[in-house]
Amino acid sequence: MNVIEVNKLRKEFKSYSSRSGLKGAFRDLFTRNYKVLRAVDDISLQIKEGEMVGYIGENGAGKSTTIKMLTGILTPTAGEVRVNGMDPHREREKFVRTIGVVFGQRSQLWWDIAVQESFRLLKKVYKVSDEDYNTHMKEVIETLEIEPLLDKPVRKLSLGQRMRCELAAALIHNPPLLFLDEPTIGLDVLVKMKIRAFLKEINKKYKTTILLTTHDLADIEALCDRVVLLDEGKIIYDGRLDELQKNWVEGKQVHFEFQELVEVSSLEELSKDFDVKWRPGERKNQWVATVEGDDDAVSRLMSQVMLKHAISDVKINQVSTEEIIRNIYEEGIIHG
Amino acid sequence: MFYLSIFFQYAAQYLKTRMTYRGDLVVEIFSDLLFQAVNLIFILVVFGHTALLAGWSREEIIFIYGFFLVPYAIFSAFFNIWDFNDRYIVKGEMDRVLTRPIHSLFQIIIERMELESLFGVITGLAIMFYAGSQLGLELSWYDPFVFILMVIGGAFIYAGIFICLASISFWSDSKTDIMPMMYNIGNYGRYPVDIYNNVIRFVLTWILPFAFVGVYPAAFFLGRTEWYTYAFLTPVMGVVFLSIAYFLWNAGVKRYRGAGN
Repeated sequence: MNVIEVNKLRKEFKSYSSRSGLKGAFRDLFTRNYKVLRAVDDISLQIKEGEMVGYIGENGAGKSTTIKMLTGILTPTAGEVRVNGMDPHREREKFVRTIGVVFGQRSQLWWDIAVQESFRLLKKVYKVSDEDYNTHMKEVIETLEIEPLLDKPVRKLSLGQRMRCELAAALIHNPPLLFLDEPTIGLDVLVKMKIRAFLKEINKKYKTTILLTTHDLADIEALCDRVVLLDEGKIIYDGRLDELQKNWVEGKQVHFEFQELVEVSSLEELSKDFDVKWRPGERKNQWVATVEGDDDAVSRLMSQVMLKHAISDVKINQVSTEEIIRNIYEEGIIHG
Repeated sequence: MFYLSIFFQYAAQYLKTRMTYRGDLVVEIFSDLLFQAVNLIFILVVFGHTALLAGWSREEIIFIYGFFLVPYAIFSAFFNIWDFNDRYIVKGEMDRVLTRPIHSLFQIIIERMELESLFGVITGLAIMFYAGSQLGLELSWYDPFVFILMVIGGAFIYAGIFICLASISFWSDSKTDIMPMMYNIGNYGRYPVDIYNNVIRFVLTWILPFAFVGVYPAAFFLGRTEWYTYAFLTPVMGVVFLSIAYFLWNAGVKRYRGAGN
């Protein structure tokens, strides 16, 4: 069953561009130049129950706008949205009972009151029974290790502490679908790891579907099998994360740092049996080989080179997801 | 029922927070009282120069002022959402409101309530009883019921107007300075409308019907039969204006653009 079903979804914002200067300002009073900006441009998307999907794109690519339409905050300009079998905007009050939302930049909790008071209010708002609350939230509180924070007011918490409480607050009604917009922004590695482990656990246990936007690709690598790449309001890639890596990585890079000066010609001579490209590295006497082929080829090349030249350092690099995605945005196309 | 229970939950939480800042609370109630005293002194000063104002005596005007304070207190306690644009639209708090399973307007009302303003009800009643005894008014058995009806009508009118103004923020994201002006115009309703010229009178009756918050309903208790029709229109106008506000709000939420982040 598809939890999220989006068909040709579009959102346009009308804004007016102001003319320059005082004279322009006067003219703006009477006639305005309107500009229609298409933040989300006819996207289609299906997400199945229990999937963890990473939704990535540059700033202004339309990530937040999509999430806001999926959560019922914004009305779409055109297209169809069904989430949990409902129209998010039209049936908003009924619909939001079935989702949990965390906006990393915005707090769901009441600033002045203790965390547990916030939880208590939300429990009433979502009509959660004492029984459900006690069994479910006890676990959440334990896993996120927020027990000692419960009697503190939110304004006294650190960002990492607050974020864990926000996550717990979004799960009070144990929703089958969770939207996370930048949940790890500004957090340290330890808290990030805690949050990732927690998300994995609820996904396994309750089959919670999770849609996640983030700038930290490590989050995506740790959590999501599937990524959706967005650029200028359009989906440019939708598929498995490892496929993306496979299609984009053109072999491995080996960095050699030699003890003495080495000519390119001698290196090329050595590696004429391999499909290899050499380029000078950033440091003195450093050469970078980009090798096409399997791991076997890499190790054979390395032994060949090292037999002939004394080296002081060697490093094998895999192209990181971040690099791949940067490449995609720079070149604007997916090949392979 | 659900909404009522949520209301009490929020109110309890509100009181708890306010109690922790007791000093603040006392200062606020005191400054409200001072503000009301200044208004009363103004009325006394005016009547130091004349005995009647378009046929209304000093005590009658004081009575109208006392009545006005009651619906105004209810409005201030629950519907005083003058900072809606800044707080909810510009800062994007509306996003959060819209992800919760309660009607958005109701959520904002219970988030922004200021229960200490209800103290104005007591002040208003005291002023009315004082002026009423000076005038020798008598209380009938139905008066308290009519009073409640009139107060609700008046509070609804005030609420309706301010909710309409807040709804404008959904269409125009620039800040408007219309709110302070509205508070000023609202004050005109405290005086008999026959002291104004016809245009202002028409505006105060049908466009921005603040006259229904003060002089018209108060005229009923003062036994001014010539105003009875208007007096009994108060609850009707209240329901009409609140309904308009409600529809305008719902239409506005559909147009909500969200704050960029």
